[in-house]
Amino acid sequence: MAAQTPALDAPPLERFTYDDAIVRKFTLATILWGVVAMLVGVLIAGQLAFPQLNLGLEWTSFGRLRPLHTNAAVFAFAGNAIFAAVYYSTQRLCKARMWSDKLSNLHFWGWQTIIVCAALTLPLGITQGKEYAELEWPIDLMIAVVWLGFFGTNFFMTLKVRRERHMYVALWFYIATIITVTMLHVFNSLALPLAVVETIKTGHWPTGTDWLKSWSVYAGAQDAFMQWWYGHNAVAFFLTTPFLGLMYYFLPKAADRPVYSYRLSIVHFWSLVFIYIWAGPHHLHYTAVPQWASTLGMIFSVMLWMPSWGGMINGLLTLRGAWNKVAGDPILKFFVWGITFYGMSTFEGPMLAIKSVNSLSHYTDWTIAHVHAGALGWNGLLTFGMVYWLAPRIFQAPVWSKKLIAAHFYTSTIGLALYVLAIYTAGITQGLMWRAFDETGALQYPNFVETLVNLMPMYWIRILGGTLYFAGMVLCAFNIFMTWKARPATYDVPVHEAPALSPVYVDPPPPPTVLTANVEFGKELESKVVQGWFHRVWERKPLKFSLLTLAAVVIASLFEAIPTFLIRSNVPSIASVQPYTPLELAGRDVYIAEGCYNCHSQMIRPIYAEVKRYGEYSKPGEFVYDHPFQWGSRRIGPDLAREGGKQSIDWQIRHLENPRQLVAQSTMPTYAHLLEQKVNFEAIQGRVTAMAMLGVPYGDAVKPGEAEKLARAQAKELVAQLVAQGGYADVGETKALALAAYLQRLGTDLSKPAPAATTAANPGGTP
Amino acid sequence: MSTVKDHLSDHEYDGIREYDNTTPGWWHMIFIASAVFAFFYFIYYDANPESSTIWTELARKQNIENKKIFGALGDLEPTPATIMKLTSDPKLMGVGQGQFLATCAQCHAKDGGGINGVNLCDDSYKNVKSVEDLYTIITEGAGSGAMPAWKTALSKNERVLMASYIASLRGTTPASPKAPEGTPIPAWPSH
Repeated sequence: MAAQTPALDAPPLERFTYDDAIVRKFTLATILWGVVAMLVGVLIAGQLAFPQLNLGLEWTSFGRLRPLHTNAAVFAFAGNAIFAAVYYSTQRLCKARMWSDKLSNLHFWGWQTIIVCAALTLPLGITQGKEYAELEWPIDLMIAVVWLGFFGTNFFMTLKVRRERHMYVALWFYIATIITVTMLHVFNSLALPLAVVETIKTGHWPTGTDWLKSWSVYAGAQDAFMQWWYGHNAVAFFLTTPFLGLMYYFLPKAADRPVYSYRLSIVHFWSLVFIYIWAGPHHLHYTAVPQWASTLGMIFSVMLWMPSWGGMINGLLTLRGAWNKVAGDPILKFFVWGITFYGMSTFEGPMLAIKSVNSLSHYTDWTIAHVHAGALGWNGLLTFGMVYWLAPRIFQAPVWSKKLIAAHFYTSTIGLALYVLAIYTAGITQGLMWRAFDETGALQYPNFVETLVNLMPMYWIRILGGTLYFAGMVLCAFNIFMTWKARPATYDVPVHEAPALSPVYVDPPPPPTVLTANVEFGKELESKVVQGWFHRVWERKPLKFSLLTLAAVVIASLFEAIPTFLIRSNVPSIASVQPYTPLELAGRDVYIAEGCYNCHSQMIRPIYAEVKRYGEYSKPGEFVYDHPFQWGSRRIGPDLAREGGKQSIDWQIRHLENPRQLVAQSTMPTYAHLLEQKVNFEAIQGRVTAMAMLGVPYGDAVKPGEAEKLARAQAKELVAQLVAQGGYADVGETKALALAAYLQRLGTDLSKPAPAATTAANPGGTP
Repeated sequence: MSTVKDHLSDHEYDGIREYDNTTPGWWHMIFIASAVFAFFYFIYYDANPESSTIWTELARKQNIENKKIFGALGDLEPTPATIMKLTSDPKLMGVGQGQFLATCAQCHAKDGGGINGVNLCDDSYKNVKSVEDLYTIITEGAGSGAMPAWKTALSKNERVLMASYIASLRGTTPASPKAPEGTPIPAWPSH
């Protein structure tokens, strides 16, 4: 390639070193958080089989720990693995040290601070209540700064000062990752903090954890759309594209084989980046979103199958002629299994996105099995392969035990197989039980808990599989720790030499065409497009490349987002649907804080079995005041969309106190603490005002002191009801009462008469 | 292996080389087929007002099922005669039981013996004087909301059938009966 550079102004050789200290830090953090994430995973898997493992403490209940598990697995374990891969490979692919060591370290410590903040706030119930985006606004701000300000800046500036003319495919995937994750994070996390509301509207300061409280600016169906645009693309651009980049660097390195096809890299990169973005609404099939959105989600998911498989093909075919190596090299085994799991997951994904399949799989453990095949199989195994390949290079000592690597390989793959097979079975079993009818036309399992009890053997197998996988993680940690202990007193830092890029570069001519037909246009097309010459030009221009990537993800996003927000008929309004009363609003925040949405959906699909079980299907207009939406994605407990009025309020309170005193086989945690803790009535005004600022018509309830008065009046009324029902008289100011008030409201507005136009000042229509 | 076909490009990054292989033909074929499928799927279901949707499917299914259960009976009225007549139809009592398990068993137990709801199998009732009161209570609720109102969640026919099923529970022997509450009332009218 030097021959292509004009010889006259060839720049002089430059000497530089790589920063491997930052790679060591991220690698060790990967392992540390991997252990934590999987340990919490095993604990919450245990809670689903043995509710006693919720320990009766508010901080350790499933609803609070499940977000901790998912955040730790995705952002701490996989996140640090991504950063280790990016920092190691980018420097070498660019023949340049990271642009700024200071930014590298700010990135590292900033990210670990975010993780620690997440680990502290989530068990405390400080959450925005949106899956995989639970972290509250101050942490969200930190993520934006650390991700784009530190990591993004450092990465793009390194591209700018690179000494390698062309960008390798791994870098393309890193570019897509950084750009898209920034976009997803910023737009999904837009929220109104209570602190802001109090400062500018009520003049009070929030107390305690209310400082951190905020609500999504989006509501109902639109929030659902944003959330799954984010959620699905977090899978795409946090768990897929960076790991493809990782694969493209570490696999050919470990196998010492050329990448199978450069052209396939181009086609599958662009098709993946462009198509993935559209697929989010497949998480909302048959929910209260317009059909066109759900259809787009499905068909783009189907079209995503081959672009995803492009990565698998390029990975597996790179190993052609090296399979004998795979047999003897546990690192390559990790890679091969990881890529194979990627292939399986990316076949299964499109399949689950087909509406009729999704009608069975949605809300069941099938989805859980699918994500674990992806996370433990693709992300986990690939990460382990990378860590073992990196260890001797960054710690400059041979890996302590090759046998332990092999042992880790077998424990993790066996654990993985047990996990996913059990949970597939559980998912399909439960999905079929939900829709089973007997010969009289009645639901065969009308009692929800029956369908859950049936899954218990599968849950025990999951615990076993998960424990095995976790044990493998511990073996890895031990092995790497021993390797680290054997490191030299001072690391050797080799000095590399390469010329800086000359500012002058003349694009070489397109390659000669291989077509023999005498058609000039065809020949030109073949040599410039089919042989990838045009793309070779882009690979020399990081800014242009990044802008094109941005365009690919933005165009698709706007195509779906603009109609979702602008077409009114997408969310037909329902006159009888009124805002929550102030007390119910406070109860809703309890619902969010306890993470109820982790086990309960609030979305009845227009499917006969579901309407039969839960009542009239949910309409988009019922959720227009839901900031954030709480539709949920998994039914470990029954749907609550029409819970209001199905039980007495006395039942609700006793059920919260201890679910098993009413439903013997329930696996729900006890919420006795809610019967002790008081609702902060003074803080309700701020909540109502915040909702009003977001466009909820609260009328006079925003006047100072009004919301508190209304809340206290409703609480009094409910206590009178409770006493008349023979219930507890002393729960008047508790969170349990507020939560019960919210639950008793759920889904009831639909069948109420539409209020007269003037009653907007009387929220909820409560007398 | 088939290395004869592979043509190594001049790309090289940190020792990583790339072949200039073409993309596999089957990859292209499936990719194009998926796009064609997507196009026609969208046209058929979303640009065609005649196509069935999840909502029309649901309405069709509800219609069929309602006919299957209540077809011959038409609209039911909550009179003592109707309620008592239904108790002798084993098929309808099966349907009623299914509904009972879905909506009532949480509080009244699967066999009607009562948990925090009353025992429905004994001769004592709190709010029922005659059999049609069962329908009223199912519809409007009772005990300041301790017994929820079902008028919006269940159709009229379903509520009449439920009254009938609950009437049929009287005199059965539940596994763990709750102590009688309210006052004993005369037997249901015969039918």
